[in-house]
Amino acid sequence: MGQPLYEKLSNSNFLKTILFIGLLVNFVFTANPQNIRDTLRLPLFEVKSVGVTDVPGFKKTTLDSITLVHHLDADLSKIISENTTIFIKSYGNGTLATPSFRGTTAQHTQVEWNGINLNSPMLGQMDFSQIPVSQFDEIEILYGAAGIAKTSGAFGGVINLTTSPDWNQRIKIALAQTLGNFETYYTNFNLIAGSQSFQSHTKASYSSSLNNFPYYNDYLGGKVRQQNSGYSLSGFSEELFWKIKDKHLLSGRVWYSYDDRNLPPTASQYDQEHIEKQKDKTIRSILEYKFVESNFNAVVTTSLIDQYMNYQLDSTLNSTHQYYSWINRARFSFSGIRNFTIKPGLDFIRDRVSSDSYDGIKTRTTAAIYAETRYNFKDILIATLVLREELIDNDFLPLIPAFGLEYLPIRGIDWKISANLARNHRYPTLNDQFWILSGNPDLKTEVNYSTEIGTGFRRLSPNQKFLLDARLSGYYSWIFDMITWLPVEGSNLWKPENIDEVHARGLEVELALKGEVAGFLLSLMGNYSYCRSTYAKANLENDNKIGKQLIYIPVHNFNSTFSVKRWNFFLNYNVCYISDRYTGKDNFSYMPAYSLSNILFGKNIVLTKYFISLQLEINNIFNLDYQSVANRPMPGLNGALTLRFSFASPSKR
Amino acid sequence: MRNPFLFPFFLFFLVSALSSCSKLSIREKSPDPEPEDTASIPLSYQNGIFVINEGNYSWGNASISFIDGMGHSTVQDVFQKENGRKLGDVAQSMNIFNGFGYVVVNNSNRIEVVDITTFKSVGAITGLFMPRFIEFIDSSKAYVTNLQRGISILDLSSGKISGTIPVNGWTENMVVYRRLMFVSLIGEFKEPSSGRKPQIIVIDTQTDKITDSIPTGKEPIGMVIDKHNKIWVLCSGGYDQFEMPSLMKINPYLLTTEAVFDFPATASRPSRLSINPAGDTLCFLNGGVYQMSTESPGIPLHPVVEPEGRLFYGLAVHPQTGHLYVSDAIDYVQNGVVYQYNPHGQLIKQFVVGRIPGYFCFAPDNNL
Repeated sequence: MGQPLYEKLSNSNFLKTILFIGLLVNFVFTANPQNIRDTLRLPLFEVKSVGVTDVPGFKKTTLDSITLVHHLDADLSKIISENTTIFIKSYGNGTLATPSFRGTTAQHTQVEWNGINLNSPMLGQMDFSQIPVSQFDEIEILYGAAGIAKTSGAFGGVINLTTSPDWNQRIKIALAQTLGNFETYYTNFNLIAGSQSFQSHTKASYSSSLNNFPYYNDYLGGKVRQQNSGYSLSGFSEELFWKIKDKHLLSGRVWYSYDDRNLPPTASQYDQEHIEKQKDKTIRSILEYKFVESNFNAVVTTSLIDQYMNYQLDSTLNSTHQYYSWINRARFSFSGIRNFTIKPGLDFIRDRVSSDSYDGIKTRTTAAIYAETRYNFKDILIATLVLREELIDNDFLPLIPAFGLEYLPIRGIDWKISANLARNHRYPTLNDQFWILSGNPDLKTEVNYSTEIGTGFRRLSPNQKFLLDARLSGYYSWIFDMITWLPVEGSNLWKPENIDEVHARGLEVELALKGEVAGFLLSLMGNYSYCRSTYAKANLENDNKIGKQLIYIPVHNFNSTFSVKRWNFFLNYNVCYISDRYTGKDNFSYMPAYSLSNILFGKNIVLTKYFISLQLEINNIFNLDYQSVANRPMPGLNGALTLRFSFASPSKR
Repeated sequence: MRNPFLFPFFLFFLVSALSSCSKLSIREKSPDPEPEDTASIPLSYQNGIFVINEGNYSWGNASISFIDGMGHSTVQDVFQKENGRKLGDVAQSMNIFNGFGYVVVNNSNRIEVVDITTFKSVGAITGLFMPRFIEFIDSSKAYVTNLQRGISILDLSSGKISGTIPVNGWTENMVVYRRLMFVSLIGEFKEPSSGRKPQIIVIDTQTDKITDSIPTGKEPIGMVIDKHNKIWVLCSGGYDQFEMPSLMKINPYLLTTEAVFDFPATASRPSRLSINPAGDTLCFLNGGVYQMSTESPGIPLHPVVEPEGRLFYGLAVHPQTGHLYVSDAIDYVQNGVVYQYNPHGQLIKQFVVGRIPGYFCFAPDNNL
């Protein structure tokens, strides 16, 4: 892969400004010149400073291309579950995977592509198995109230998938081919062409799998192969970036994907004729203009998403859903006043849904004003106030405020303490309101109060050979009027109600240790989260859920990756531990804890213009027979072999 | 400087080593809500009440709770305990015949057959089309209603499906009258209420041929026969509340509808029609538990048991004692509760049972 973008840009003042649009973090660390760039380069390791936060006082982490490069053939659920504290609830290989972020439900995590919301306005959530890793360069994760800077309603947080131009690239062609178990094939093609003022990035990928992994079926009492589980996913994207006079940046992006998937039966349904299919065709496009001055900048974005989805179940159900979202954003930043920055913004979103499950076409119009103000007290204390006001279909949501503080106690030491306090609201989804016979047009918005305190520390050893990056955060979040679908008495219908009150609190620890020992480049990263997310209220006579954990949210979630590199050989070892997840609100039945280990190793061959890499990945190396969701089989030991090849013409620097 | 990797490495490999040790299969576990009761697992299941817990659709967590004949103890997940495997997905009903229990597991598309004294599995019946209920005709034959494609004919001696009585759509309840089987037909499953043609079909059990039919209100979901040999049919009015729910009285001899009682408001969703041992009092759920004399001129206005914040889901009348057994499925995502009331609606006892208790099966010689 290319060098880190930030590094390459550091020679140009203009580019740095572009990069830091709205960030204005530079001055915080002016006392420590090392930190002016937010990237520190150890041999082959790229580490972000803990002090860099888009919005001071709020938590953000990044997964960079070094993490992603070995997993181009994977989907987002794999990257997130192996490298973050966000829990992914997976219904099986290649099928539905949804997040639980800080003890919240899938609808409380918003997924964005370059700042544009990908969550369906119908369901309010995103299926992580449908996002191929090869379609983006970096993942930004905004925790809890940090998401308010982007959107309302993301009580858990925001996952933003970003792509960015590499202005030094002349021409680069990359090809990757993966062969895996269960007849899994993956092909990726990348073409980058351009100059220092114009760049074109083309990405195309295709993956297919029979996905007929063997597993032990408890109902049949024997080993069988999963059936009706094949899939094919195709993706194509084209991005154009045009820079004019170091002041204007125009970009256009289009990403088309076509996913054709068979949905496998549950273990208990195994011996039946079963046809269940889902087809998705999605086109997402973004046009963006950025204007940059030394103390003023503006970003204007317009975006269109068109998603078509067809679901078929035997002969009983065949339904089609289609939505368009037209998303417009304007963001400004002004830092002309000493120590003071103000960043106002406007959003206008129009959703239009045509669904077999709605009575007629449904639309939603969202208009929002947004302002972020920041005051910097002598580079020691930074205070941020974010205010957001939304108007949804003539309904004013209550004001959404977030207040954050960031404290840097010792000059010259990369250590910060941050805290924040926020109120947030989530408007019901279109399904909640309009699903035929079930939708409830009288739903109120969900309300969330949250507070968080955290600290981050980073230190480079005096001999520059070791680097430690550590973060610790604790949060407490109260959700009121949470929307839950409940059975309707005497019928098979379910209906959403503003019924639940949930308290989610927890701790997150992230540790990274990188360095060089006897020529070996070593890295050890660990993430741990403790999360109690419990019901605080019950509405029915026999309801036994007060104080009990929400279903399918583990209390403990730990993952760690160890990697070593020498002589262009590389080895990664990843282990994930997930504690018990309850399957009943009364916390009697549960899925037992498990841990999974994956190993990946290979060799890079680096020539002047060519790069060849061969890697073998082995998943579930201990061949654990497990289910993440009850009754949904998961594969045992499996592997994939990847060959990557790239050609790059030498770049000018 | 000491190598700072040493300690973290040690920890990392410890965790990895521990993780490799767990070779057990990771499957859902359902501990008993009241573990002290498990000490008294009965030697025989011949005397007691089986509570059929549907479980959540597609979760594969259907189960059977057993309340012993004296009402002293409850055993959860009897099938799993006796057979070492899970029952399946969405257990709909159970019926007992000739010492065998037949558990109809709808979304597993099978009927599990167990020895009723031990509850050990003796086989499974497959080749069904989303089965609902089983009714026995004689020692060699039974009928099984299905969500799709008609009524399956089961050869009891071989345990195999020997044929199908083709019917368009979802067949539900069955009542035997002389040599005739009365079967409620709701209509095509995928159609809305407006497109369904609900009726009671009449089958000659000697020839397995449909001989007659009687049209009904939308969604005939309950059927019983009273002491005067009149068949009562409860029609919910449709899942989409297409029309008013109604209760019909049918003369099975003349094949005529003798009376139709409309329910007072469309908002009500009556279900689970049952009858007392004397055959003169109907019983159903409609929010609360209602009783209605077979001589009544109309639908009763007041329940014998008020819901009081509970979502009643299942109801049955004990065939000997006449006690009412009512289940509360709560919010469907936790263990349910079963209440035992005497015929006057006074609470006798309550029991914790499994997930979504919907159906009761009374072991024949019990006297609870």
